[in-house]
Amino acid sequence: MIQLTDISKNFGRYQALKHINLDIPSGELVALLGPSGSGKTSLLRIIAGLEAADEGVIHFEEQATNDYGQQVGFVFQHYALFKHMTVFENVAYGLKVKKRKERLPKQKIREKVQELLQLVRLEEFADRYPSQLSGGQRQRVALARTLAVEPKILLLDEPFGALDAKVRKELRRWLRRLHDEVSVTTIFVTHDQEEALDVADRIVVLNEGVVVQEGTPDEVYHHPNSPFVYNFLGDVNLFKGRLERGKLHQGLCEWEISGDLERQSEAAVGFVRPHDLLITRDLTVKDSVPAWITYIQAFGKSVKIELKRQDSDEYLEAELSREQFNELQLQKKELVYIKPNQLHVFTPDDYSI
Amino acid sequence: MAIGTLAVQRKVSLSEPLWVRILLISIALIFLVLFLFFPLLIIFTQAFDKGWAVYLASISDPDALAAIRLTILVAAITVPLNAIFGVAAAWSITKFRFKGKNILITLIDLPFAVSPVIAGLVFVLLFGGQGLFGEWLFQNDMKIIFAVPGIILATMFITFPFVARELIPIMQSQGSSEEEASVLLGASGWKTFVHVTLPNIKWGLLYGIILCNARAIGEFGAVSVVSGHIRGLTNTLPLHIEILYNEYQFTASFAVASLMSVAAIVTLILKNFFEWKMNNGIGESV
Amino acid sequence: MASVQQARQHRSLPGFGLTLGFTLFYLSILVLLPLSMVFVKSSGLSWGEFLGVVTEKRVMASYRLSFGTAFTASVINLVFGILIAWVFVRYHFPFRRLLDGLIDLPFALPTAVAGIALTTLYAEQGRLGQFIPMKIVYTPIGITIALVFIGLPFVVRMVQPVLQGLEKELEEASYMMGASRLQTFRKIIFPEILPAALTGFALTFARALGEYGSVVFIAGNMPMKTEITPLIIMTKLEQYDYAGATAIAVVMLILSFILLLCINGLQWWTSRKILEN
Repeated sequence: MIQLTDISKNFGRYQALKHINLDIPSGELVALLGPSGSGKTSLLRIIAGLEAADEGVIHFEEQATNDYGQQVGFVFQHYALFKHMTVFENVAYGLKVKKRKERLPKQKIREKVQELLQLVRLEEFADRYPSQLSGGQRQRVALARTLAVEPKILLLDEPFGALDAKVRKELRRWLRRLHDEVSVTTIFVTHDQEEALDVADRIVVLNEGVVVQEGTPDEVYHHPNSPFVYNFLGDVNLFKGRLERGKLHQGLCEWEISGDLERQSEAAVGFVRPHDLLITRDLTVKDSVPAWITYIQAFGKSVKIELKRQDSDEYLEAELSREQFNELQLQKKELVYIKPNQLHVFTPDDYSI
Repeated sequence: MAIGTLAVQRKVSLSEPLWVRILLISIALIFLVLFLFFPLLIIFTQAFDKGWAVYLASISDPDALAAIRLTILVAAITVPLNAIFGVAAAWSITKFRFKGKNILITLIDLPFAVSPVIAGLVFVLLFGGQGLFGEWLFQNDMKIIFAVPGIILATMFITFPFVARELIPIMQSQGSSEEEASVLLGASGWKTFVHVTLPNIKWGLLYGIILCNARAIGEFGAVSVVSGHIRGLTNTLPLHIEILYNEYQFTASFAVASLMSVAAIVTLILKNFFEWKMNNGIGESV
Repeated sequence: MASVQQARQHRSLPGFGLTLGFTLFYLSILVLLPLSMVFVKSSGLSWGEFLGVVTEKRVMASYRLSFGTAFTASVINLVFGILIAWVFVRYHFPFRRLLDGLIDLPFALPTAVAGIALTTLYAEQGRLGQFIPMKIVYTPIGITIALVFIGLPFVVRMVQPVLQGLEKELEEASYMMGASRLQTFRKIIFPEILPAALTGFALTFARALGEYGSVVFIAGNMPMKTEITPLIIMTKLEQYDYAGATAIAVVMLILSFILLLCINGLQWWTSRKILEN
C-alpha cells in the first residue's frame, strides 16, 4: 500500500498539485488519468522521488528503508535508454551499479538479463543499440531495465504515448499480462481514457491538480461523479433542462434520469453517451425529439451518426451497432426521432468539483 | 517514519552535494580569473600606467594611426569577400546534393588547421622574389610581398572559413522547403535568396562576419611573414604592438593593445547578441 | 516513374552552378594553389636534403617542444574545459552569464595582445609571476600557458551544447536504478560528452601546434630550449632559406592534415550522436 497524504506541489506560482490524498493498494495496476496540465506526471514523479513535494507525506507499506531507490522503478515517457549501451548493457545497468558487496557475480547478472530479455521477448536483440530498435521494442527494453532491479513499485509515465496506434494496443495487453505475472504495484500516467479503461484495475482521474474521482474502470465510466469526468471519459451529448421530481424537463419532453431523484434545479444538464441515444422513425415514441441526419460514418464495427436537432439546431452524435444500422436503413438528410436512454444529470453544484 | 523528508533528500541526490558544487565552481572561477580575467586586466593597467597623456600620445602617434588605417583597410576588403564566399559555399553545400561534398567541407576548414606562419609562407612562395610569379611581378613593377596586397591575401587565407563554417550548419538545419516554396511560387533564385533565405540566416551571417572581422584585424603570424614590417606602410596594429614591445616601449605597446582589447570586447558583446538573436529565432520558428 | 523523377528535378533550386563554381574557384585560388606551392617548392630538394633539414637537431628539439607544450595545453584545456562547461550549464552563481560571454575572449583578442599580456603578467617581477616560485616566462611552462589561453574556448564550446541537450531523464533513469552520482557521471554523462570533448581537444591541439603570435613573446625563443617549430620556419624565412622553411612546413602541414581528418571523423561521430537523440 502506498499512502499519499495531503501532497501539494507548486512550480513558482503555479499550483500543480493541491492537497492530494490517495491510497494505492499493493499489487494493483492503477492509472493516473487526466488532461495535460492536470498534475498527473508531477504526482508520479513525486511518488518516484524525482521531485520533492512541498507539503505532505508518502508512506510505503513496509516502512522506509534506506535503499528506497531500489524499491521504485520508473519507466520514462521517452524511455531514456542509454544510447551508447547495447540492449544487454542497458538492462544490466541497474545490476552493475550496485555496491560491490550487494552486486551479483558477472555470470549471475548475465543470466538474469537473459531472463528479463526473454520476459520482454527481446532475446535476439541483446547486442543491438537502442537506435536500431522500433518504438515498441525500446519501450520493452525500458521496462526490462527497470524490472532488473526488482522494484516493489513500478511507475510508468505515458508508457504508450509515443507509439503508433497498433503497437500501442498490443503493448497495453502485454503490460496487463506482465503485471499479472510479476505482480508489482504498478502506477501509470495517461491522458488516454481508453487506455486507462482497458488496462487498469483502478483509475484515478485528475484535473487541475485535484483528484476528481477514483474507482474501478466500471465505476468511473458508468458512474462519473462530475461533468468533467463524464466528458473526459468519452463523447457526450448535452441536454439542458429543468430538473424536477426525478425527471429532466426540456420543452414538452421529460426524461427519466439515473441517480439521485430528490434533486431539483432550474439549470440542469443531462449527459448522454452516443450509444445511449435511441434513434427511431416512429414519431409516436413518447418524449422524442425530431432531428436531421447530417452525416453518417459507416465503417468499422459501429456506425457513427451526426444529427441536427430540428427545434434547437444543436448537433448530436449517436452510435449504432452495425446490425441496428442495417435494420433501420438510415439515410443522410432524413428526419428521425431521437431519445436519450440513459441520462446522467448534473446541476451547477456538480461543476464546482 | 515519514518519507516526505526522504523524498526531499532524494531530490538533492539528483544533483551534486553542495560542497562538490562549491568546489567545482571555485576551481572554474580560479582558472578563468588566472587565464582570462587577469590577462585582460593587465592590458589596461599597463596601458594607463603612465597616465592619460602618455596613453593618448601613444595612440595618436602617426605610425599608430597609419597602422589603424591599414588594419581597417585590410578588414574592409577581407571580410566582405569572405562573407560572399561563405554564403555561396553554404548555399551550394546545403541546398544541393553532389559528390565530394564532404571533401569540399574539409577543404574549406583547411586554413583552420594551417599554422599562420605557413599561411604567410605560401604567399611568399607564390609572389616573393624567388617565388613562382616573383620574376613576372618584378618586371611589371608590382609588389605583393612586403606590401599591402600580401597582407590582404594572407589575412583572407586565415579568415577564409569563418563565415562558411557558421552558415553551413544553420542552413542545413533549416532545410530547403521555404526556398522551394518560393521558387515554386515563381520567385527568381536571387529574389528567393534575398527574401527567404537571408532573413533566416541573417544573425548567423552577422555572427560569422564578426568573428571573421576579429581574426582579420588581429592576425599576427601570417601577416608578420608577408609584411616586411615597414613602419607607416605595411604595419598592421598587431605588428605595431610587437615593434613597440620589442623596443621596450611597453606603455605605448599596451596602449595600442588596449584599443584592440576594446575591439575584442565589443566583438564579444556583438557575438553574444547575435547568438541570443539566433536562439530566439529558433525558438520562434519551432 | 520517369515523371516522378522529373518532378523532383524541377524542384531543385537555382544557383547550383554559380555558387559551387564560385566556391571552387575561390577555394582553389586562395587556398589550394598557395598551399600546393609548399609541396612544389619542397620537391626541389632531394630526399636526402629534405630529411637533413627536417631532422636537424635544432628542428627536432622544436618538434619535441611544440608537440609537448601543445599536448600538455590541450590536456589541461580538456580537463578544465569539461569542468567549466559543466559548471556553466549545471550551476547558478554570480557573474555566470558574464563569464560565459568572456570565454570566447581568446578568439576575439589578437594573439599578439594575448602574448604581451601573458608575458607581462607571468614575468618574474610581473603581477602574478612574483608570487610563483618558479620561472614561467621564457620556459616551456610559459609556452604552455599561452597555448592554454588561446585554446581555452574550444573544449568549452564543444561540450556546452551537448551538456545542455542532454536529456535529464537519462540521469534520472540511472538514478532510479540505484546508481550513485559518480557512477551516473562516469557511465552515462561522460560517454555522451566524450566525442565533443575529444573534438575540442583535437581542435585545441591543431591550433596550438601552429600558434605563433601569443607564443613568441613568452617563449624567449632560445634555440634547443624554447624555440617552437613555427618560429623556426619564421627564422629560416628571415634568412631567406626558403627551401628549409618549406621543408619544415611540409612536415607541419602533413601533421595538420592528419589532425584535420581526425577532427572531421570526431565531428561526424558527434553529429551522429546528436542525430540519434
